[in-house]
Amino acid sequence: MRMAGRTHISVTLTFIILGLMLALLFVLDIMIGSTRLEASDVFRSLFGQGTEHGEIIVMQFRLPKAVTALIAGAAMSVSGLLMQTLFRNPLAGPDVLGVSSGAGLGVALMILTLSPVFEFSSLNPLHGWSLIIAACAGAGAVMVIIMAVSARVRDIMTVLIIGILLASAISSVVSLLQYFSNESMLKTYVIWTMGNLGNLSPVQVRVLLAASSAGMLMAFMQVKPLNALLMGETFSRSVGVNMKRTRIALFASASILAGSVTAFCGPLAFIGIAVPHITRLLFSTSDHKVLVPGVIITGATVVLLSDIVSALPGGGQIIPVNTVTSLIGIPVVLWIIAGKSMMGRKI
Amino acid sequence: MRASIISVFIALFYISCGNRNAVKVGNTEEPEELSVNACRFRIETTGEINTVTILNPWQDTESTEFVWYLLPHEMTLPDSLRDRSVIRVPVERIICMSTTHLAMLKALDAMDAVVGISGADLVYDPEIRSAVKAGFIPDVGYENNLDKELIVSLSPDVLIAYGVSPASAEYLRKLSELGVTVMFDADYLEEHPLARCEWLKVFGLLTGKREMADSIIAVVSQNYMELADSLKRMITFRPRVLLGAPWEDVWYVPPFNSFAARLIEDAGGSYLFGDLVTPNAVPFSTESVFKSATEADLWLNPGSATSLDDIRQADYRLAQLPVFKSGRVCNNNARSHREGGNDYWESAVVHPDIILRDIASLLHPELFPGYSPVFYRILQ
Repeated sequence: MRMAGRTHISVTLTFIILGLMLALLFVLDIMIGSTRLEASDVFRSLFGQGTEHGEIIVMQFRLPKAVTALIAGAAMSVSGLLMQTLFRNPLAGPDVLGVSSGAGLGVALMILTLSPVFEFSSLNPLHGWSLIIAACAGAGAVMVIIMAVSARVRDIMTVLIIGILLASAISSVVSLLQYFSNESMLKTYVIWTMGNLGNLSPVQVRVLLAASSAGMLMAFMQVKPLNALLMGETFSRSVGVNMKRTRIALFASASILAGSVTAFCGPLAFIGIAVPHITRLLFSTSDHKVLVPGVIITGATVVLLSDIVSALPGGGQIIPVNTVTSLIGIPVVLWIIAGKSMMGRKI
Repeated sequence: MRASIISVFIALFYISCGNRNAVKVGNTEEPEELSVNACRFRIETTGEINTVTILNPWQDTESTEFVWYLLPHEMTLPDSLRDRSVIRVPVERIICMSTTHLAMLKALDAMDAVVGISGADLVYDPEIRSAVKAGFIPDVGYENNLDKELIVSLSPDVLIAYGVSPASAEYLRKLSELGVTVMFDADYLEEHPLARCEWLKVFGLLTGKREMADSIIAVVSQNYMELADSLKRMITFRPRVLLGAPWEDVWYVPPFNSFAARLIEDAGGSYLFGDLVTPNAVPFSTESVFKSATEADLWLNPGSATSLDDIRQADYRLAQLPVFKSGRVCNNNARSHREGGNDYWESAVVHPDIILRDIASLLHPELFPGYSPVFYRILQ
């Protein structure tokens, strides 16, 4: 636990600064959007005083998108943090368990094979819940496999390798499905993989919030075992941590978080890997009592920032949010690789 | 009749060809400019030899050319053409990779020559579908997933392909190595509806039915231009038209110089994104399209929606557009089936005059009493 050199005051101060940034970015995200709206119109719309269409744009396009960005950023980051600590591997993220790939497989199966059967092609990619249910089923199936493996395999590194293998195997199946699909199916799938924060209905935002809250609550409940895990599994057992139960709780939490975000927003690249590192750097600590809320607030901030950047081309055009998160994430991963020895001590 | 056809052709001949020109043409709003020659192919006739040059058969290329020499069966091959792509005409065995090719051959009454098709599910024509189901016409697969052995065993005189990228040329090259003559067709890239129809000429040359092709084109062009002309004189206002539907949160907006936008302008409408002139569709956020769409009087081609509820389910916010509330949403899938076949992408390619009439009747119903659209349906 590296609380030394940093007092509680500085941790509190970091939280306050991040909180203010988060609030500022949230307001900016609602103000900026991809179409031009005067600031005064935005405020009037927020309080139900705007023009009819202005209100729709603010309340039904921008607000749900900003809230989704908050939840998705927080959830993916917590999921990544849990995986990095559990596997004691700085490059672990929500995708190492294959949960994101599993969600992708569900979606690919839905789009690429079942669409003719269910006449899914009516207004192609969308049909609200169908993709979400497919992604949840895929992510859930992978989660069950990982849980089963984890209950039988003692060595955590073996679980990690099995998870990565599983993810690769699933990607191959997805490639195979893509190979046998036509152009419009492919386009639908590719657009799904680019990530999207802006297509959730209010009900979907609520479901995402509920699922993510459950996952985050589970993470908060595991703070003590997580801190013990930093010293290794043997140490954890010696201080009375039930490893089997902890692993299952962590897998469940990480899978619910990553699975639900991937289901609703598509695979958000790099957030899960990068944000825990940014957070450790900002707070200079590896105490999960600080890190769990820390990654929540940092993750939300980073994804909000990405969303603002994605609308920057102006003139109504947007860049896929996944491209932006990758562009933020890749330098962080490079930095981890470059300073691996230093990071090894930190983690 | 003959004279009028010839005069139409002379008129067509003198009007500039070129998609790049069409960009400007679209904005000038002069009725004379309505006739545009196809820009992606060129035919030169020397004696009995027809040279077909296909230009830029995929997007984002400006200097790709393929040349085929069409020679009658009985003619001895001149030495100068020994190493060239030669097709003996009329061809008797054709494999079609796109539904538009089928439509062209059907229009020329040359379906007997079709020995293989690609993507049978996407075919609309009931006769062809039943021929495929009964096993008379095999499905050779699609794109990267072609059954090359089947193609070779069908010993086609020519395989008509369409290119979407240089990569498609690559996998088709393999077929050429196996001795299959592959010819590119780029009708889908033509920006003017009449230019698409004009690809009938190429099919006419291949099947030995050039005159039939020419006369169909002449009649269709005349119908199209007369209708567009009279609309221009009769309409008092141009309703604003929204096109397309979002994919997730991205709305690929077709530019003003696109096939669909051109039809809207010619049908007496005004395309909402009239100042967008680019080679390809532009990805906009749904939010920004929504803002523009609030001004629309008619919404055309919303993806594959078959009902208003499809749109509402896809994105509940779109249901709040005035054009949606007033039920002025029409899609081009009146003739389609659930496996994906849509006649708009098939026989409509040789009936741009009917598409124009359909859209004009939706824009200005008062001018078309009793007319019910062929390819379009009003979503309920």
